[in-house]
Amino acid sequence: MTASRLDPAALCRAVSSPKHGAVASFVGTVRAVHAGRRVKAVSYDCFVPLAEKELARIAADAEKRWPVRVAVAHRTGRLSVGTASVAIAAGSGHRAEAFEACRFVIEEIKRRVPVWKKEHYFKGDGRWLAGCALHRTRR
Amino acid sequence: MKRKIELYGRLRDAGLGSSVAVELPKAATARQAMSALKSAFGAKAPLLAGCALATGDEVLSPSDELPDGRLAVLPPVCGG
Repeated sequence: MTASRLDPAALCRAVSSPKHGAVASFVGTVRAVHAGRRVKAVSYDCFVPLAEKELARIAADAEKRWPVRVAVAHRTGRLSVGTASVAIAAGSGHRAEAFEACRFVIEEIKRRVPVWKKEHYFKGDGRWLAGCALHRTRR
Repeated sequence: MKRKIELYGRLRDAGLGSSVAVELPKAATARQAMSALKSAFGAKAPLLAGCALATGDEVLSPSDELPDGRLAVLPPVCGG
């Protein structure tokens, strides 16, 4: 979790290896329109200690499931339209598991990581977006 | 004993600041803490629907005893 600008290329470099024939990446960015409303910015709130642990656990889960190396970073703070809010990179021997690992990581982030988005609009009050309820996961 | 519980997401707009202090018995459970939070929220208690209590390490089940350290109440999440 970081308040600084994301660097997707640095994540790709971090998961690159001479043994890898593929590096897939996913970058999520702030959308200009949501549910018909013009968005000016999105604020990302976060419970940092648990969010960082969950990101690490998700990356480890992906690395257990596929022969990949994963790097992931997520923004906090108020971001303007077009700014990267999340970046994921997966390096692997072949493309299929790199794509699958990227998809897995972003879907798990949306389900498990304690982050909340408040959209700010050009007209009217901002709004916290709905999400997925958290539940205890026994380890 | 008083326990501080941190508020996140939509709960920050409840007018209670970034945390609330609730009175709890020793060895209280997460369920008891949620009940105390509902009282502290008063008319804003519906904001707690779907929320979970968590430490900096994990989400708690209602029957879990509250450990020492940071405690937070977390609304449904929507990262990415």
